[in-house]
Amino acid sequence: MYHDAPPLFPSLFHALLKALMLSQCAMLYPRSLCLFASVMVAIGGSGSLAADDGSPFVAGFDRFHRETAEHAAIGGRLLISELSCTACHASEDQELQAKRGPNLDGAGRRYRTDWLKRYLNDPHAIKPGTTMPDVMGGLPDDQRRRAIDAIVAFLSNQEAEYPVLKSTASNPIATQFWMKGDNDRGAELYHQVGCVACHEPDEDYPAPPYQGSELEKMLSELDPEQIEELGLADAVRRVRSVPHGDIAGKYSHQSLAYFLYDPAHIRPSGRMPSLNLRPDEAADIATYLIGDAAAPNLDAGQGDTASLVEAGRRLFVELRCSQCHHAEDIKPSVVARPLAELDVDAPNSCIETQHVGLPGYGLDAVQIGSIKSALAAINSDSTAGSKAHATMLKMNCYACHTRDRRGGVGPNRQRYFETVSQVDIGDEGRLPSPLDGVGRKLRRVALDDALKANINVRPHMFVRMPKFAGPSLNGLAEDLANADAVAKSAANLFSDESEQMANAGRLLFDTGCVQCHWVRGEHLPGVVGIDLAGADKRLQPQWFHDFLLNPGAMKSRTRMPTFFPDGRSVNPNVLGGDTERQIESLWAYIKHIETQPLPEKIEEGKVHDFELVPGDRPLFLRTFMKDVGTHAIAVGFGERVHYAFDADVVRLAQAWRGRFIDAHGTWFDRFTPLAVPLGDDVINFPAGVEFATLRSEKSAWPKTSRQAATFKGFRIDRDGVPTFLYHIDGFDIQDRIAPNSNHGLTRSMQIHRVDDKLSKSATLWFRANAGGKLKREQTHQYSNESGLAVTLPQPLDRLGVVRTIDGIQDWIVPINTAGEMSFDVEYQW
Amino acid sequence: MVKLNCEKPFWHRSKTSCVVIAIVVISLCDHRLPAVADESDYYRMITIATSKSSTESRSKRWKPALDALALEVSGLAVLDDHRIAVAIRKGEVWILDGVYDDPPDQVTYKQFATGLHEPLGLLRHDDSLYVMQRTELTRLRDTDGDDVADEYMTVAKGWGVTGNYHEYAFGPKIDHDGNLWFTLNLGLGLQKEQLRKVIKNESLGVAQGLWRGWGMKVTPAGEMIPVCAGMRSPSGIGVNRQGDMFYTDQQGNWVGTNTLHHMREGAFFHHPDALASMNQSGSPIHGIDSIPGGLPFPEAIKRLPQLKPPAVWFPYKKVGQSATDIMLDDSGGAFGPFDGQLFVGEFTLSSISRVFLERVDGEYQGACFPFREGFASAVIRMEQGTDGGMFVGLSNRGWSSLGTASYGLQRLVWTGKTPMEIKEMRACSDGFELVFTKPVDTASAEDAESYSISSYTYNYHATYGSDEIMTERPSIEDVSVSDDGLRVKLTVAGLRELFVHELHADGVRSRDGEPIVHPAAYYTLNRIP
Repeated sequence: MYHDAPPLFPSLFHALLKALMLSQCAMLYPRSLCLFASVMVAIGGSGSLAADDGSPFVAGFDRFHRETAEHAAIGGRLLISELSCTACHASEDQELQAKRGPNLDGAGRRYRTDWLKRYLNDPHAIKPGTTMPDVMGGLPDDQRRRAIDAIVAFLSNQEAEYPVLKSTASNPIATQFWMKGDNDRGAELYHQVGCVACHEPDEDYPAPPYQGSELEKMLSELDPEQIEELGLADAVRRVRSVPHGDIAGKYSHQSLAYFLYDPAHIRPSGRMPSLNLRPDEAADIATYLIGDAAAPNLDAGQGDTASLVEAGRRLFVELRCSQCHHAEDIKPSVVARPLAELDVDAPNSCIETQHVGLPGYGLDAVQIGSIKSALAAINSDSTAGSKAHATMLKMNCYACHTRDRRGGVGPNRQRYFETVSQVDIGDEGRLPSPLDGVGRKLRRVALDDALKANINVRPHMFVRMPKFAGPSLNGLAEDLANADAVAKSAANLFSDESEQMANAGRLLFDTGCVQCHWVRGEHLPGVVGIDLAGADKRLQPQWFHDFLLNPGAMKSRTRMPTFFPDGRSVNPNVLGGDTERQIESLWAYIKHIETQPLPEKIEEGKVHDFELVPGDRPLFLRTFMKDVGTHAIAVGFGERVHYAFDADVVRLAQAWRGRFIDAHGTWFDRFTPLAVPLGDDVINFPAGVEFATLRSEKSAWPKTSRQAATFKGFRIDRDGVPTFLYHIDGFDIQDRIAPNSNHGLTRSMQIHRVDDKLSKSATLWFRANAGGKLKREQTHQYSNESGLAVTLPQPLDRLGVVRTIDGIQDWIVPINTAGEMSFDVEYQW
Repeated sequence: MVKLNCEKPFWHRSKTSCVVIAIVVISLCDHRLPAVADESDYYRMITIATSKSSTESRSKRWKPALDALALEVSGLAVLDDHRIAVAIRKGEVWILDGVYDDPPDQVTYKQFATGLHEPLGLLRHDDSLYVMQRTELTRLRDTDGDDVADEYMTVAKGWGVTGNYHEYAFGPKIDHDGNLWFTLNLGLGLQKEQLRKVIKNESLGVAQGLWRGWGMKVTPAGEMIPVCAGMRSPSGIGVNRQGDMFYTDQQGNWVGTNTLHHMREGAFFHHPDALASMNQSGSPIHGIDSIPGGLPFPEAIKRLPQLKPPAVWFPYKKVGQSATDIMLDDSGGAFGPFDGQLFVGEFTLSSISRVFLERVDGEYQGACFPFREGFASAVIRMEQGTDGGMFVGLSNRGWSSLGTASYGLQRLVWTGKTPMEIKEMRACSDGFELVFTKPVDTASAEDAESYSISSYTYNYHATYGSDEIMTERPSIEDVSVSDDGLRVKLTVAGLRELFVHELHADGVRSRDGEPIVHPAAYYTLNRIP
């Protein structure tokens, strides 16, 4: 495919330049950075030297040590640990410790016996790429068959139970969850959460097409020599997958689901990490990998004679299976010649051709050469950096992460790494982050937590950071920290964490941070990005400082823009535009983020999502309200005058102007916070009931709501305005409250006597206003000290009485109607 | 109700123990079908609407997708053969048209009512929709024919509302006399201001809002009557074919596992906090001055005569973790072979269970069975459509569910294929009688080895939930199968009153060799007939 596109070098250079000018990053960042970046992501499809001849597949070796003779010893050392050479050939070198194989305590419940037989008969054919050696090579056929029968009988009797998974209210697990996997969900998970970082994706899976850059498209048209010359060969090479083997032939739904849920209990080496799957997700992926068909369950140990099992047990030791696999309490026993003393040219070596009684690995020439180089330089020194590199090769961290221009998601897997909701926030939003300088970036505790997958600051990425079994990361956090360590800078980089600094930081957040970042789970509409709450606990102050000052210098191709071009702040209004003080203030705000208000823009946006904005017709909301109570009915009007009615005490309780109310707490917060008016000019009406029957005009106004009217509900009229209906002591009351032209409220009352229960000696009174002191503003109008002015119509006002009882002055009017009466009450405040 | 005569009925054949049968059973086991039959072969799910939220169900900052209606279905009312009304948790009622379509791809939504306070139930009655809000039972009516409610009339109110989040109100459901029933959740962890609004019972040391933890009814004349008490979180109410009213409760303090109770006057169910209102005017419960806590439930019953056992215990996880709504299958067979039985929703496991009830000495008791799993979210409401199919309302906000959608509306319809199930499990004086949906294979059904039984009870204590305690394994002494193959009589030694009897009939096959879809049944044996 490369042969018919032979562009000449000058035009290639021209095209490269053009592509760079077109690409987005070129407009924002120095060209040199982009050049480096482009090397890291170039797409590919170039052939591979890897031989599919059944030689053991070790991802790190295959990707970085197969194509080039450089660093052969490093590749060889990787093979020594991954092929578990040191399980027999002891070595003190921690880096070379044997990977070893699966725990076989429960093999009888986990693997199908016919698969075990086929596998033992020819491991490299049945599971291409397996690192398990053929331990029966050279045995005559019948002897081999008998040995296999015995070992399989022994394994079938390894019956360790499945772990008990506890279903709780917050983590529910279906009974027999492994039977309930869903093929489609499994396919989705398999391609989204990270399985395909190492394993083969399904070409037919409908992942969104990957939009390579102009540069990448152009690269795909170059021929291999040109690519080689540009030094891009590594970047465009297809990354091979860790083979699955015959999963359906090997596992039941149950055994695979349990394995995927917690790989470490079967494979303590951690090479297969946990992707933090829930049990149902593990079942989904198991179903996807095995298929829907209900396969028979696995029943351990049936019908094998004790003598056959015992023979198998003996062979398990004699053939040295027990050097790598745990079963019963058998301990590794064979001690071959120590690694450091091996003669690589010995005629009876297990690295080249297979000999009877020795394990056969099926190594290819490149692998053999690498191992020999490693053995020749067995006592070489290691540094923190080389140790970190060795661990990353073993655990295949490079499948996802780049470090020192090595690794990262390969060209053939780009499209499976997606951002939730397909939001475009660049590769930072979909690819696991580069680990260059990570020891300088993260605090030591955070680095530990990150490697243990205890924190997830990027919920917008589908791919999950895997959890590696206990000790398998072999001090990686420490090695990274040491490798990246820089000389200690001034001790107190950020010393001023005062309230004033935090406030300034909050202002600066609005300048830019909130456009891409969350704060305490809140964010502007459509924004996905890292939540900056807790950043002070994750990041080293120096890195934070340097990153803000010049993001591109710290993280290639980042979308984080600089707010301090040439070291000068773009916002001169905060802290006098002092760059160092501004960065310090951002740190101070983040440090106190839990107690500080949200950035103003987020606060506004948050309310906006659930703010009720009345239009032509009023809106109402029943809720719990401060100063109104648990039976509040808030009514909002397009005129921007609103009120809350208390249906328990049955009274007009509160009014305000401007914005109406935020419904989020009422609608969606389980803990039912009290709603509050969003607007201004909030006025609380006098507490207590509004209607009461009194013996005389000198009787005290009832203090409790026990004598409240009975609330009957409301009707909504043609304009959408509710009329409240209630009843007290023989009177039906209709009460319609709506804004008037003076930005106040007008209340239209209709009172109807429905029976004469009311005794002759008592009268129903309406309390129009009350307070510590009432003031007559004009005829028909009294105001109280809160500023509530109430106007009654004639002749009602003349019948009213102003009196003072127990320090409360109120204005009450008698309702004396044999039939029906109507009047309007006007409120101003 | 006819009392069962379990003395060797004429249709029972005496079992002849036979080596041949044993061999047949063993060979059946060897070639058995998958352990779990596929529920979807018999009951098919149709999704009308579901949604995923980007926020975790327990998050304080929960938000729905902003461009969609947050269809957190908390109430369902069937209107006719093309429309239903749906209440949603944020406080609205919507009319959905086209919901019976298959696939339901032309459904239209019209808002009927708004501004309601967390409605958790909806009922169509006369020309109105009745909706249960936190603070009142409301009758919604459209008086001008535009399909939008313009009357929000208060039918009942006055119970304590302190403002505590856990004070949910559920209902209404209507009985055969036209009474509207509802239940009032207990508050949990009341704070400062909320504590000023409680009623106290000093001698029992309990404090709650008025009538909290009670079952209430409103008569057709509008009178609100407190009926029974001791509820913890009674999120489901339902009427059976006889017109008796039931509710479900949720495991927690004083509640060993989820339960189904017959609501009737003066009954006290379990949670003592409800007794805060015992001495209030109208209370039919009197004279409880101490609670016999920390005892096995059967022992506590002996010490406290007002304490009534549940009609059914739902053993934790085996039949759900959080029971919700109750739905009577009143379809006369259009929903499959369980006509007249009750279905109970399940929140956490996103499933539905099934209940068979019978009356022994006038009191209800019976068995529960797993029925259907795999709903998109937590099942909180169910209602039978005019075609017999079931509408299932979903929302998991605030807790967690196996179904990962935040909310939705699904339908469950019978495929017409009869599942092999234990339709009924009836108590007899000397064991149990099983009634199957299809004739059993005699050889497998006659083998005592095809069955196993255990029995246990729960602690009655202030602790959250209870383990199964005092477990025994009663022995199956005899098995006989009716000539028509539909009934199996198990003679069991060691029955215990007030204990749950858990039966597994894994070995039984239908005449066509099918295994039982759900081979376990859990009978609450309050009384031995």
